[in-house]
Amino acid sequence: MISRDPTLFAKRKRANAFGLTFSLVAMSIGMIFLLWILAILLFKGFSAISPALFLEISPAPGTPGGGLANAIVGSLLMVFFCAFFSTPIGILAGIYLSEYGDNNKFSQVTRFVTDIMLSAPSIVIGLFVYAIIVYQVKHFSGWAGTVALSLIAIPVVVRTTENMLKLVPSTLREAAFALGAPKWKVSLTVVLRAAKSGVITGVLLAIARVSGETAPLLFTALNNQFFSTNMNAPMANLPVMIFQFAMSPYDNWVNLAWGGALLITFAVLGINIIARVALREKVSV
Amino acid sequence: MNDRHLSSQFDEDLNSLCSKLLQMGGMVESQIEIAMRGFSEANIDLCEQVIEQEKSVNALEVEIDSSCAEIIARRQPTARDLRLVMAISKAITNLERAGDEAERVAKRSKRIIEEAPNYKINAAEIKLSGQMAIDLLRQSLDCFARLDAVAAAKVVSDDKQIDEEFRGFVRKLITYMAEDPKMISTGLDLLFIAKAIERVGDHAKNIAEFVIYIVKGADVRHISHDDLVREVTK
Amino acid sequence: MTTTMKPMFHSDINQGNAQSAQGANVSSNTPTVNAIEIKNLNFFYGSFQGLKNINLNILERKVTAFIGPSGCGKSTLLRTLNRMYDLYPGQRAEGEINFYNENILEPGNDVNLLRSRIGMVFQKPTPFPMSIYENIAFGVRLYERLSKAEMDERVEWALNKAALWNESKDKLNQSGLSLSGGQQQRLCIARGVAVKPSVLLLDEPTSALDPISTAKIEELINELKKDYTIAIVTHNMQQAARVSDFTAYMYLGELIEYGKTDQIFIKPAKKETEDYITGRFG
Repeated sequence: MISRDPTLFAKRKRANAFGLTFSLVAMSIGMIFLLWILAILLFKGFSAISPALFLEISPAPGTPGGGLANAIVGSLLMVFFCAFFSTPIGILAGIYLSEYGDNNKFSQVTRFVTDIMLSAPSIVIGLFVYAIIVYQVKHFSGWAGTVALSLIAIPVVVRTTENMLKLVPSTLREAAFALGAPKWKVSLTVVLRAAKSGVITGVLLAIARVSGETAPLLFTALNNQFFSTNMNAPMANLPVMIFQFAMSPYDNWVNLAWGGALLITFAVLGINIIARVALREKVSV
Repeated sequence: MNDRHLSSQFDEDLNSLCSKLLQMGGMVESQIEIAMRGFSEANIDLCEQVIEQEKSVNALEVEIDSSCAEIIARRQPTARDLRLVMAISKAITNLERAGDEAERVAKRSKRIIEEAPNYKINAAEIKLSGQMAIDLLRQSLDCFARLDAVAAAKVVSDDKQIDEEFRGFVRKLITYMAEDPKMISTGLDLLFIAKAIERVGDHAKNIAEFVIYIVKGADVRHISHDDLVREVTK
Repeated sequence: MTTTMKPMFHSDINQGNAQSAQGANVSSNTPTVNAIEIKNLNFFYGSFQGLKNINLNILERKVTAFIGPSGCGKSTLLRTLNRMYDLYPGQRAEGEINFYNENILEPGNDVNLLRSRIGMVFQKPTPFPMSIYENIAFGVRLYERLSKAEMDERVEWALNKAALWNESKDKLNQSGLSLSGGQQQRLCIARGVAVKPSVLLLDEPTSALDPISTAKIEELINELKKDYTIAIVTHNMQQAARVSDFTAYMYLGELIEYGKTDQIFIKPAKKETEDYITGRFG
């Protein structure tokens, strides 16, 4: 009646079960490693989480205790300024690519370069900034670090902005034009606003990405054992600090390194979660 | 109907509507024929047959009108489909009334046969105009079937002849009735029969006018004959 | 069965008959003015010709409907009237479109200003991602400077015109996207009306809506035509019959027939028109 061939139905059920099991296994393999990483971080780094981590600066070699205050502040400063410069540049470039220069030569080249920069090794970017800034002024600085981070963040913002803007239906643009709005107004007030949550997500993801970059900062901001907010001088930052402490012979340094790793990981995780939650909220309106 | 709609059901509905109209027309034609025969052959059975059949004519009118309403509701016909449905809805009224006239002829004939079977009035004109009316009705239905506006224009003008016959017969009747007052009762019956025939001619004319409306989109019901011809030949 | 062939509309224009807007089918004693006169309009998508030698007048404060099968060019024609095609390279128009005696196809015209005087509502409701109030204020702010009180008044007036005020007056600050489909479309109409254009172009405004919203919008069109010239493209012939004063039938980029709606739907002059209207179109 319903299944003319009972064996066919059984065969399909088996194939279905097989596929389901296979994909679950594959998924679990990925999840296992993620959870393992988080578990190890928590296990090893949790002991370092204390007010001291945030209030005391990095200890001198051999000195017990200490914290990561200077690295945290340094990272925050550099990421902040990176966001400050990358966001407008990236968004405006994305607007240009999506709204104005749809297929002219200039846009094609820009997109190509952006794609290359997206996958450029970050150490190469670090060395580049070293050559053009650090070497010229003969000292490391937080500004150089910011520039390096920006060179990594901008392509991300450009790409996501362009993609998000392109998702806005052309009927919305036409509706704005039909009222007599000039092009710049349509782009900024209507299209950008419609893609707002997507663009913000792009910015957040760029920030999350650069927060954990080590190689570019290695040659630009270097590191600083003392507390400093002078962007013109070497700046303490979490990734390089972790690099330095992790393989040192000092126990408190290693401990602090784990603590720093835990901080960065959960900060990045947090930003990603916020970005996705924010996006989902906007879409449901 | 010529060229077909995308909806074959719509075509079927319209074709069925037209067939029913022609069927009703045929029925009314035969009613008049039988009534006229009943009159000229003084055959009471034929008269009673006509009176009995009148019900079916009325039933068809109701059925066809209801089909027209359905088509309008379902299809929202436009242009020539609309004109067709409108025209059919009106034409069946004319047909139904023509059927009533046939019944009237039959009833009056029955009275004459029963009360004055040997009346002495020469009713040749009635027989003649009766035949003309039947022919005219047949022609108007034919015009409808073929959607021929030119032939319909001819039907419209031919009706005048029946009107003239009627007027001539009325003058004759008056003479008869004036000479012999005992003939008045029969005379009046004959007058009503002649009037009924004249009206059948008018109904045929109306049907022909509707045919022109369907084909040309012009309402020629109350215009002069010259204007009508102009509309038809445009 | 024969149908009479009437002379095409453009032969009348060439006789200098600037007051009448239709062909021999219609009485030429209409005392209204032409809001838009289209002369010898040809339109190209690249090398493909979308409109062929269109000659047509649109009377002010009347509703003119454009009907025809898909691809006949009716939307293309509408979009030339507010130069919407300018947004897309490769699309160009040749000929003359006189909007109250100014040729809008002349290069060097301020296209944006033109669009504020010839508004458009699209098939899919497209409220901006802003509050209902802002949706309406957006267009108004482009060319007028109004105080807050004046803007409030204009928003209320526009929403009233679109028969949306009662349903939205308590939620002017909510997003335009929170309205239902029919309401969103009325919001778009309010938005178009708020800038007080002379002409409103409606491109299949109800094809995405349910029958009741459609009926409300048709009622709206009936009200709006007292103050605005309206051109509507619709693939629903009964809607054209219900709503318009004049109807134009187009096919494959050409204008086949144009006349008063009553006449087109009862006694069209051309067989092609009749075939399309009665559903004999194959």
